[in-house]
Amino acid sequence: MFNISSFVQKAQSAAQQLIDPMQGLNLTNSDRNPSKASLFQSQFRLPSSQTPLFEIPAELTIPPLNVTHGGKDHDRGWHYAGRLHLSESYLCFSTTPSSFAHTASTSTSSTFAGQTHGAGPSGNGFTFPLCAIRRVERLNSQNFQFSLAITTWNGIAQEQAKDKAALKDRKDFREQRITIQLAGNRQVCERFCDGLKKGLRGAVGNVGRLKKVIAECYSEYLLRPEEKKNAASPDAGLGVIFKYPGDPKKLRDRAKMRLWAEYLRDNGRNATLIRQPTFHKLIRVGLPNRLRGEMWELTSGSFYLRLETPTLYIDTLDKFLGQESLAIDEIEKDLNRSLPEYPGFQSEDGINRLRRVLTAYSWINPDVGYCQAMNIVVAALLIYMSEAQAFFLLSTLCDRLVPGYYSSTMYGTLLDQKVFESLVEKTMPILWEHLVKSDVQLSVVSLPWFLSLYINSMPLVFAFRVLDVFFVEGPKVLFQVGLAILRINGEELLDAADDGAFISVLKSYFSRLDESAHPKSENPKLRAINRFQELMVVAFKEFSAITHSTIQDLRLKNKDAVLNNIENFAKRTAIRNLGPDSKVLSPEELGALYDRFYGVLYERQQRDLIIQEEQRRRAKASKSRANETVPEHHDHGVEKGRVGLGPSTSLMDYDAFREFLASVSKWAISDAPPPTPRRDPSDRNSYFGSFRRSDINLLSPWGSGPEPADHEFMQRLFRKWDVTNSSSLTLQNVVTGLAQIKGGRDIMGTITYFFELYDDDGDGKVDREGILRVSEALLFLSRRGLEGSLSHSNSTTMLNGIAETDSASLSPPIGGTINERFLGSVSAFIRRCFEYADPDNLGNQEEASQTINPNTPVISKEDPSIDSGAFAIGDDEDEEDMLAFDSPSSQPNTEAKRPDLEPIPPAIGKPAENASRRTVSKAQSEKANVALDPSNPLHITLPTFRMVVLADELLEQFFESSFPTSLHITDGLPNTTSQSSSLTTFSNLNFSRPATLSSSAAQPGLAGAGRGLRGVLDNIVTDASRVAAEVRRRMEEAQRELEKNALPGQRDEDEEDEEELPGPIKSTNAYGGDAERRSVRSSDRDLLDGADAGAGATKEADGSSQSLLDTNIEQEGRVNKVSNTTERIVEFES
Amino acid sequence: MADSNAPKPSSSVKLVLLGEAAVGKSSLVLRFVNNDFQENKEPTIGAAFLTQKCNLPSRTIKFEIWDTAGQERFASLAPMYYRNAQAALVVYDLTKPTSLVKARHWVAELQRQASPGIVIALVGNKLDLTNDGEPGRGDGDGEGVEGEDSGDARKVSTEEAKSYAEEESLLFFETSAKTGYNVADVFTAIANAIPETSLKSTRGPGASNAVSRGGEEQRVNLNGPRETAKEGCAC
Ligand SMILES: Nc1nc2c(ncn2[C@@H]2O[C@H](COP(=O)(O)OP(=O)(O)O)[C@@H](O)[C@H]2O)c(=O)[nH]1
Ligand SMILES: [Mg+2]
Repeated sequence: MFNISSFVQKAQSAAQQLIDPMQGLNLTNSDRNPSKASLFQSQFRLPSSQTPLFEIPAELTIPPLNVTHGGKDHDRGWHYAGRLHLSESYLCFSTTPSSFAHTASTSTSSTFAGQTHGAGPSGNGFTFPLCAIRRVERLNSQNFQFSLAITTWNGIAQEQAKDKAALKDRKDFREQRITIQLAGNRQVCERFCDGLKKGLRGAVGNVGRLKKVIAECYSEYLLRPEEKKNAASPDAGLGVIFKYPGDPKKLRDRAKMRLWAEYLRDNGRNATLIRQPTFHKLIRVGLPNRLRGEMWELTSGSFYLRLETPTLYIDTLDKFLGQESLAIDEIEKDLNRSLPEYPGFQSEDGINRLRRVLTAYSWINPDVGYCQAMNIVVAALLIYMSEAQAFFLLSTLCDRLVPGYYSSTMYGTLLDQKVFESLVEKTMPILWEHLVKSDVQLSVVSLPWFLSLYINSMPLVFAFRVLDVFFVEGPKVLFQVGLAILRINGEELLDAADDGAFISVLKSYFSRLDESAHPKSENPKLRAINRFQELMVVAFKEFSAITHSTIQDLRLKNKDAVLNNIENFAKRTAIRNLGPDSKVLSPEELGALYDRFYGVLYERQQRDLIIQEEQRRRAKASKSRANETVPEHHDHGVEKGRVGLGPSTSLMDYDAFREFLASVSKWAISDAPPPTPRRDPSDRNSYFGSFRRSDINLLSPWGSGPEPADHEFMQRLFRKWDVTNSSSLTLQNVVTGLAQIKGGRDIMGTITYFFELYDDDGDGKVDREGILRVSEALLFLSRRGLEGSLSHSNSTTMLNGIAETDSASLSPPIGGTINERFLGSVSAFIRRCFEYADPDNLGNQEEASQTINPNTPVISKEDPSIDSGAFAIGDDEDEEDMLAFDSPSSQPNTEAKRPDLEPIPPAIGKPAENASRRTVSKAQSEKANVALDPSNPLHITLPTFRMVVLADELLEQFFESSFPTSLHITDGLPNTTSQSSSLTTFSNLNFSRPATLSSSAAQPGLAGAGRGLRGVLDNIVTDASRVAAEVRRRMEEAQRELEKNALPGQRDEDEEDEEELPGPIKSTNAYGGDAERRSVRSSDRDLLDGADAGAGATKEADGSSQSLLDTNIEQEGRVNKVSNTTERIVEFES
Repeated sequence: MADSNAPKPSSSVKLVLLGEAAVGKSSLVLRFVNNDFQENKEPTIGAAFLTQKCNLPSRTIKFEIWDTAGQERFASLAPMYYRNAQAALVVYDLTKPTSLVKARHWVAELQRQASPGIVIALVGNKLDLTNDGEPGRGDGDGEGVEGEDSGDARKVSTEEAKSYAEEESLLFFETSAKTGYNVADVFTAIANAIPETSLKSTRGPGASNAVSRGGEEQRVNLNGPRETAKEGCAC
């Protein structure tokens, strides 16, 4: 016996090379760090459903078969040391860690390491589907080694039940039986065998499928005994009908076929084929026509795809029968120009086959769809194989052999051109220099070679010879041949100095490939060598150093640059193609917007992938291992996400939109604590200084960014931007949406925009609910402070929100009152909205107010202290008016107290009859109730909304500047805001603000409560939110009252209950949304008083606000006038 | 051939055709090079390369024409072909407004990315499908067109395209590859518009080489009768 220990060592060292090949390279990208599974799949050309479950060093023994072989090793057969692998559905053996896999030499692009040994990537060995294994026996051996005898289903297709016995006796049919000796300790061997046993058991059911699939293989027909050949032969392509290209005599097709028949008889066919060195040699001299298709599908691995889902092709055609697509239109245009010189494609039959294969593929891989050049490649395949075979081979091409060539950005094509150029530069520096000097771009010449796999560049017979090798040895062949072409024509090319000359040299070379390479040689043998043979020799001898890992390395090296180029191009194109409304944004803004849009989509996709990967991994780990599973999903294994890689992401869903907003606006960041532990405020500065994005766990659902908020306002914004109602936004939608907000619009535009956001049915009215929602949105948008140009009575400096925040954290801010004052403004906003709202239906309302009012609990009266605390704006009046949710019918009353409010002309949308109604005088209590009474529907119109906004300086500034500037498209958000939680920021802003401090410190309630300043100030925010919540609550109560009216008996009790409530007021937290009703503490009210005193402006400005309204009404819609007025107010106040 | 005995200076000009798919780029080139109009049988991988000479009174211009592939996704390969181009034909289809939008895009792209001195011609093709289809012909034809209600498929007005071309300083033509109307004029105008200096400076080595290799025009098989080509560029 042979010396097993030495072979074990060899195998182990080979195995070590396979382990962690990219060790030490600081690369994170998945293609820099291919998973073991993907290397395994590449090596044995298996579908992505297969993962390496077990592997073990082993020796393969192929017994001597018959006399025709006549080998020297006659009595012992052939031995190969290598590794045996087991996956879910395959048992594979290979002698070499092939060049297709990365080798441990971590060969860099500067040194061409690794050899193909002419063996091709899958080496010597086999790739047996488990269902092709008939039997596995454990052989007895003296030294406790595991020896397995494997018998396959080789020739199963011709075995018929009735003549099974007869077959056994036949000389031309023998069972294929090989032995494999496992090397390893007993435990490892046993585990492997257990796995194999399980796998085999699971595969039993697939034998029938295997039979069907191999029935389409020509080898089955070829090896059939002569008397049985009357049955129809499998479809070996259009060539059977229209003749194969080239002269069969010259191609020595018959002789080749004989050699192949012999090889297949000895070594198994299709699923049970064993690769020995002869196999690779036979391929190098060119495949015989009728076997070509089968060998292509075997060597490329598309056979295994077909075995996995044999009916996918027909099913796809059936499923999409009659459907139309852009791809189909494009396919149709090219059908008549796909190898038109081949007779098969001058026939309906050929054209139809081509159409069907291209169409079916466009359906199963819509990301690729159809790309010109695929028509030529598929046409070529169809000469040698059936439609289904061509379909799966096309799939293998797109996913594995020439990834990205036909994608919608064709990045693979461009990338390989870069790779090719750098190989030329390295291997033929003189030619390269010449190209550079004469300014000829190599790609314009070489791109079609690669894109059409030389099919369209060389005469077909030669192109197919290239393909023969290409399918076994992989994409490196395309490069080797390309380099050889340039080397052979080097002299002439050095004379060519422009595109035209370059092209003509090569064109004439290709047209003379069949001529003798050495026509003048004395030696007849040399003379007999044609130029194509010379090309092959140069390609595989002179450029043998170019391996798959060379190509992989160079692809990696150039990938980013190529993708960047494509992305820049795509970006320019996309921005240029944006509609006219994009013009209001600056080119910088559009550029930044584009980056952010796709940046968010890309990151989200990456995160999804990682999470999916993790889930798959877990699912797999828990799954029974050897059970074969047929994946329903056809995985293309193509990278996704980057624009340059293809169109997989160009739509933004709501979650992505939130994430997008959170990257440009601090208000869009959630109030939830950030994933990192919150720091004590005392070390905030250092926290910001040292914060790094990479600290954040990438697996968080929001990646490295902050968690976005999910506020009703954002949903409205999304719906508004989603003009097609598709629940997703295109870049155009986002640009249009932002252009409307930021596009240098006047304040009126922004106000209108906001109004329309809440005018759900577009009838020009926003109802009570809408008003509340608007105010909630205002609070939401301002809760982290306002940005933009804000001026106020205390300080005339223009304040930037961020600068303000930053300085606030360091020192007592001068303008710290603004954000508090804004809360007041919002309160005033609500009050005014209700004050000036119109009733929906006058008749109904009148009735309702009269019948219901007396029965409605009057909260505002019962608890005056609350009113003054929470809602006091115009509190020059008495308490009852504090909670001034005046109904329209209360207008006269207001007028009486504030004559300057009276002249609201019809111009702002108040119907004349409304005015007359105002004369009806009612008690204060009734007023409030009517406003809150849901049976009195009311609404504000746009003019009213405008008026109300413009009545308040801060609100005006909010719409004019603060809201538009809060979207930081170009500069983004500084880390500080993106990471700090809102409320802290807010309290920081107010921290040690003298006015608040003094006024609130004076309140015993505050001291008594013993709460920190921060908590108190947080409450300001909460209280303001409470305004809205409170109104909502009262509406609900009123609604309840209404319902109770139907049951008069109970009413009084309930009313009493209400009045007996211990707390002055019940409130829900508008943000927390928790049902808990909190009572307002007296300290809060006091504080609010103080805040209002500090803010001052709102209160005192009331008078001027009215005059503003007057002016505004006269000059409605004219921006500059309005802002003039604003200035006047400022002056007035100061 | 007429040009072989002319001792006029000869220089080559790299010209690229850009435009939406199916506007008639390949047809225009075929008309110019072969004076022929037929369904395109040649599969275009990336771009097709053709050459044609154009005799000007003072010199001979040899156009090296890159006819880029029609499919949208090949657009990202375009920079490879317009790089170093001295001239560009940006083609749209007179009967298809979106093709003018695409044409504007290509103009912008060229102005920003291509060589600074590039001569750009905006070409509205398929004029034969409009009422002005045969402006050079007699009244008889005009009547025939008038007789058909559906005669005018024009969707892009001459004024619109022309004023845009003027704004961007582009040459402007309306052509028909089918009838051959205005096709040669486009190329002649481009030939005339290429500044003498740019011929010398940018394509210096190429130009001189082309002259020295003068006998080798047949290097690109044009699949058509050569004499008709002369007529195509009756400069
Ligand atoms: N009526 C008419 N059809 C044309 C003209 N030029 C091209 N076509 C047709 O338009 C289609 C597309 O032409 P092609 O040259 O392939 O366009 P390309 O994709 O821009 O190269 C073909 O069917 C042509 O026959 C023209 O001037 N008039
Ligand atoms: Mg074309």
